[in-house]
Amino acid sequence: MIDLTLNYALVKKFIVKFIEEEVKSNKFDHALLGISGGIDSALVASLAVDALGKENVFGILLPYKLSSKESIEDGLKVVENLGIKYEIIDITEITEPYFTKEKIGDKFRIGNFLARIRMSIIFDKAREFDAIVLGTSNKSEIMLGYTTWYGDMAAGIYPIGDLYKTQVFGLSKHVGVPESIIAKKPSADLWPGQTDEDEIGTPYSEIDQILYLYLEERKTKEEIVELGFKKEDVENVLKRMFATQFKRTFPPVCKISQRTFGHDFLYPHDIFK
Amino acid sequence: MRFKISLAQINPFLGDLEKNLVKHLEFTEKAIVEGSKVVVFPELSLTGYTLRDLTNEVALDADSDFFKPLKEISKNIDIVLGFVEKGEDKITYNSSMYLSRGEIKLVYRKMYPPTHGMFEELRFFGRGNSYKSLATDYGKVSVIICRDFFHPTLLSLAYLDNVDFVFAISNMPLRGLKGEKPQIQETVETASSTYTNFFGFFVVYVNRVGFDDGLGFYGGSFIQSPTGRKIVSAELFEETIVTGTVDTDDIYKKRTSFPLIKEEDRLLFVKNVNRVVGGLDD
Repeated sequence: MIDLTLNYALVKKFIVKFIEEEVKSNKFDHALLGISGGIDSALVASLAVDALGKENVFGILLPYKLSSKESIEDGLKVVENLGIKYEIIDITEITEPYFTKEKIGDKFRIGNFLARIRMSIIFDKAREFDAIVLGTSNKSEIMLGYTTWYGDMAAGIYPIGDLYKTQVFGLSKHVGVPESIIAKKPSADLWPGQTDEDEIGTPYSEIDQILYLYLEERKTKEEIVELGFKKEDVENVLKRMFATQFKRTFPPVCKISQRTFGHDFLYPHDIFK
Repeated sequence: MRFKISLAQINPFLGDLEKNLVKHLEFTEKAIVEGSKVVVFPELSLTGYTLRDLTNEVALDADSDFFKPLKEISKNIDIVLGFVEKGEDKITYNSSMYLSRGEIKLVYRKMYPPTHGMFEELRFFGRGNSYKSLATDYGKVSVIICRDFFHPTLLSLAYLDNVDFVFAISNMPLRGLKGEKPQIQETVETASSTYTNFFGFFVVYVNRVGFDDGLGFYGGSFIQSPTGRKIVSAELFEETIVTGTVDTDDIYKKRTSFPLIKEEDRLLFVKNVNRVVGGLDD
């Protein structure tokens, strides 16, 4: 078992600085994020409050008719404990007419659509509040591509984008995320009873170690299996990672001119810093 | 000789020369108030790090009028800083500058710009090809830049050159947050302890803070004596100025109690280097 524990006091300090500075570099004073009731958004909200002050952080709760009762309760717990401003917008009325009209029953289509509608509302509300959108994706789900492209991945900055899920749990305990949120099984909550680990087919404890060994220790697939990990878990993780590479890169631009974004227009992101 | 050195652990504005000039003058004023003889800024302190296509837009001739206010203030204190140099050879360099008594005394071009993984310096900068040192009224100094510090070959030149102070100015991004200190900080401090111990000079290490495009620079600037003692350390992640008093007697004491330099045979070293790398004597 590889210990992925970090020095969470230092990690917290570093991410708080990151949020504080990158929000300013992007010319914002406020930040906004979707609050799902899960651990990732609870953690980012807490770090954002430390960085920007509670008066500058906005939470949006976006339940759907199939969202679990705990998700809404836990989401409310997050915003109320932190004392941030929030709104609740039920997306059932917005999404149902489309599902009905198009006769959509496929849960993956429904799930992706919900994620992208939430994204649309989050960005619209960000405009209303003059806020940057904080991404709540963690390294495990980004590397597995277990996210909706232009859905929950859409954000201005990724404060916890380089933390494995295991480390998200560790840091959440350190910053005092409510226990009920830490204790429950991670879920995208796109349909009743959904859990990340059932859907992915490998538990996060295994996923994170396999990712760590492959990415940071630069072990090969065979070497990871030799270390005692199940071949099907290693293959599952690596296959998911490479199959979703398009989500982590800029879309290919057909280069024609002498200078092209995505190829050789190489200004930094933080150009206004 | 005892005197003070100030470490200006700043967070530069990315690509904004004017704002960074103001910051340099402010921090230099603070160092003057502290009574320091030298103020040291990090690598690319006048421009920030992740410049990419901004690199050539912020490049300066070493004799540019831009440096006038810095030359002026250097009548009161020596200044070490980092900038993007527009070379007379039409190549852009990641360079350091030493100003003293109203003049630019030294310009050094980074010899090992890293280009791998997250680093892409050779895409935008040329490679310097000359180790340099400078005689000052408090001893001989060399100014090296970031990755240079991880090349013991370069530090060996400073040792053979009988340098008293190595100013290592850096933009070292953080990676590894498992231990008590960032892992990269451990690497830097281990290297410094080795160099100060075996080469018998002071290491004055100045790293920036802040974030460029998500890369975070950890700070943690310090002065380490040849005796191994940390004279001063700046905190992590915070823009700050810290000042320490150095005593050049430490160098003499170290080199007489552990007289490696006396045992050194420079010509023998050169002969062997030539043999190993296939030089003229091969």
